[in-house]
Amino acid sequence: MQTLKRLVLLLILPLFAFTAVHKYYVSVTQIEYLEDRESVQIITRIFIDDFENVLRERYDSSLVLNDNRDEDEIDKYIEKYLSSRILVNINNTPVTIKYLGKKYTDDIANCYLEITNVKAINSFEIKNEVLFDIFADQKNIVRTHINSKNKSFILIPQDNKGLLNF
Amino acid sequence: MRNIKYYFLSFLFMTIGAFAQQEQQDQRVPQEGHKNNNKFKQLYEEFSTPNMFRAASGAPGPAYYQQQADYKMDIVLDDDKAILSGNETITYTNNAPETLNYLWVQLDQNVRAKDSKSPLIESGSVAPVQQASTFAKNHLAETFDGGFKIESVTDTNGKPLSHMINRTMMRVEVPQGLETGDKFSFNIKWWYNINDHVKEGGRSGYEYFPEDGNRAYVIAQFYPRMAVYNDVEGWQNSQFWGRDEFALPFGNFEVNITVPADHILDATGKLTNRKDVFSKDMMKRYEKAKKSYDEPVLIVTQEEAERAEKSKSTKTKTWKLYAENVRDFGFATSRKYIWDMMAVKLGDRDVMAVSMYPKEGNPLWEDWSTKAVASTLKTYSRMTFDYPYHKAISVHAQRQGMEYPMICWNYGRPDKDGNYSDRTKFGMMSVIIHEVGHNFFPMIVNSDERQWTWMDEGLNTFVQYVAEQDFGKWYPAALSEGQTAYPSRRGPAAKITDYMGGDQNFIAPIMTKGLNTYQFGHNAYGKPGTALNILRETVMGEELFDYAFREYSNRWMFKHPTPEDFFRTMEDASAFDLDWFWRGWFYTTDYVDIGIKSVKKYHVSAKPNKEGAKIAERFSIDPKSLVYYIEEGSDEFSEDMKNSKDLQNDIPTLKEYLMDNFTPQERAKMEQPKYFYEVTYDKPGGLVMPIIVEFTYADGTSKTEKYPAQIWRLNDKEVSRVIGSTKEIVKITVDPKLETADVDTSNNSWPREVQQSEFDAFKNKTQD
Repeated sequence: MQTLKRLVLLLILPLFAFTAVHKYYVSVTQIEYLEDRESVQIITRIFIDDFENVLRERYDSSLVLNDNRDEDEIDKYIEKYLSSRILVNINNTPVTIKYLGKKYTDDIANCYLEITNVKAINSFEIKNEVLFDIFADQKNIVRTHINSKNKSFILIPQDNKGLLNF
Repeated sequence: MRNIKYYFLSFLFMTIGAFAQQEQQDQRVPQEGHKNNNKFKQLYEEFSTPNMFRAASGAPGPAYYQQQADYKMDIVLDDDKAILSGNETITYTNNAPETLNYLWVQLDQNVRAKDSKSPLIESGSVAPVQQASTFAKNHLAETFDGGFKIESVTDTNGKPLSHMINRTMMRVEVPQGLETGDKFSFNIKWWYNINDHVKEGGRSGYEYFPEDGNRAYVIAQFYPRMAVYNDVEGWQNSQFWGRDEFALPFGNFEVNITVPADHILDATGKLTNRKDVFSKDMMKRYEKAKKSYDEPVLIVTQEEAERAEKSKSTKTKTWKLYAENVRDFGFATSRKYIWDMMAVKLGDRDVMAVSMYPKEGNPLWEDWSTKAVASTLKTYSRMTFDYPYHKAISVHAQRQGMEYPMICWNYGRPDKDGNYSDRTKFGMMSVIIHEVGHNFFPMIVNSDERQWTWMDEGLNTFVQYVAEQDFGKWYPAALSEGQTAYPSRRGPAAKITDYMGGDQNFIAPIMTKGLNTYQFGHNAYGKPGTALNILRETVMGEELFDYAFREYSNRWMFKHPTPEDFFRTMEDASAFDLDWFWRGWFYTTDYVDIGIKSVKKYHVSAKPNKEGAKIAERFSIDPKSLVYYIEEGSDEFSEDMKNSKDLQNDIPTLKEYLMDNFTPQERAKMEQPKYFYEVTYDKPGGLVMPIIVEFTYADGTSKTEKYPAQIWRLNDKEVSRVIGSTKEIVKITVDPKLETADVDTSNNSWPREVQQSEFDAFKNKTQD
């Protein structure tokens, strides 16, 4: 019965006013390894509304994304947030992911991240928990192009990691 | 005689290819046969056979019928308890040729009943973290007691009628059966607890304002509504799960709504007792608004609304409304509302554009809502038919975007200090344009939303794009600094490529029941809207498209169209065979990807090449009578071939032919191509589309060529074209203006341009 109640709310929320509002909780992360440049390039695309919700919840309830205000401050929050939610191991070793910045297009925030000095990839593991902290039905799609191979994962809270061995 | 010889020769060359193929086929391994997989196959299997109800042209057939449902309702709002109760009489007219023994009535509120099954069809999971308020709501608080409480279902004499409720549908038995042409009246008494739509969701309900203790109600799906019975579905009694919208018959509504005396109310239909509910000041302002075509006139000012918020009347007022030929009824009521109106001229009629909003919507709402309504009515009337109702109302409600006949709820709220971002501003304008646009699709062109979400959302998203662009032109002050056009989120082809080129596991064809699609917004709004925009701007052209689109709208105005009626009409009115377009864009998840595979340069020579010499020998043709193409860079190519100045002099056989067949004047006018190319286009994507190619010449000029989609009819993978040009081509670009929704443009140019990746572009820009 408790489960039912929880489901009721989880589910009614996404039914909001569907006619024009997106309520499909999904982020898309593209990952590409450029061997010659020893670089892993990552673009994470998150709906601005969802992103704004989580950043407000965590850091500053007054912040507004894509309003030409406080973007430096927002960048700091995004960097902090993403560094705790997206974790990568390459060849079984945790690596540092550098946040380069973000760009808004329509209702999406595109975040650019890079891992440098990657000489070879034998195994690649990614944990992506973006927005899992506020939306239980969030799905994070991860698409990789590494060593000429394409692979895609759908990460959900119970299954938040994807592993590739080459 | 000469002509015959040339005719014979050209025939011969055509058959040489066939011989070669035959030789190859002799050595083939046995192959399986197949059905017609051609992308241009007509849609006979997908479409039902035309009949007397629906004609092959896409118009209503001679035996087309539709049912009618008329309503008389007395509605009472209890603002203290947030309860709505009603007593309604439905008069149902059976125009179908068959007898009906029962009627189906929709009980949409039951989606919020305690025993609703809607929550049970979704899968869910535990979030690692949750807000305390969410946790308390989910696990500790009592669930909301929503859903209709049906007190009685009786005939007009008060005698109970046999009925059965199956979740959101109620079957009411007709004692004697309802023959064609018969009318049946019956009465339903009901009440329900109104939900807080901000907290609990839903397309209607109230928003509670804790600062002043008032509610603003936007009320819809609030009364038991007749289901549609028609020639396609029988009864459309597919359950309401919460996402897929509605199918409703047309009818006339007489509705009396009793609310607190200090409430301001507007609704579907004509207000028939204006003098009872308006103050003298309001009457005067209303008369002024009827003549104000440029600026809205306030009927209730912010000052008056703020005064009203401070107390609560214990008296009531009844607002009486009458609506003709509408498929539904909605209303909004609150003592918080500010109200403004402006007249719009459409043809020889005046229509009223109306907005109603709490002070929390200002300054955005007083500036832009009513103007957006007026602008939308103008664009849609041009694209379809003159708006037939007398008013269109935009009501501000937090997080809503929902449409009803003449009235809709829209989001877009500034922060407490009255500041708003561009996202809020354009979100608000776009949602108003979208929801007011729904008056046309599906309120008047009344498609079945429960079955086909895209038929109203897709068509509406398409016209919304046209309306947004008009709005930006007509009201440049609505744009932000540096903008030259309205920033439409959907419509342009390039905005749908991420979705269409995305993971196929999460894409459904447009022709899928709305409830069962992934990525609802892209599937039912973005893709069909963009597809129609591409059809208009790139495939058919505006003139042909607009005529056919208007024809569809007029044929099905106040009727119930199906997808086929739309598809057939668009072809019927334009002489444009579009089966390939509907098949690809609407029935599959294929995407557009067309590229340039190779470009070969040729020079023309009188000197036989090896291949040509062989053919001449085989068919005993004088080798000197032929013209030879030599590929640049091949063994037979020599640099001097590039320097040919005069085609006629260099190739005697050509000169002779021209002298025999053309006058000197004609010959003098002939252009002499010097550069010959064989361009091969390949198509990694499944969709067929016209190939739009821009050729750039060495002198800097360029020319665009458009090959119709039918170029792919015999080979779906690659096609080649030979081009003779007087000027050297230095660059070839496919889809240079990004108008076909090509998902991968890295193969669109020759010489192949290495495109900077999105990542590198960002990195380089930020490092500058």
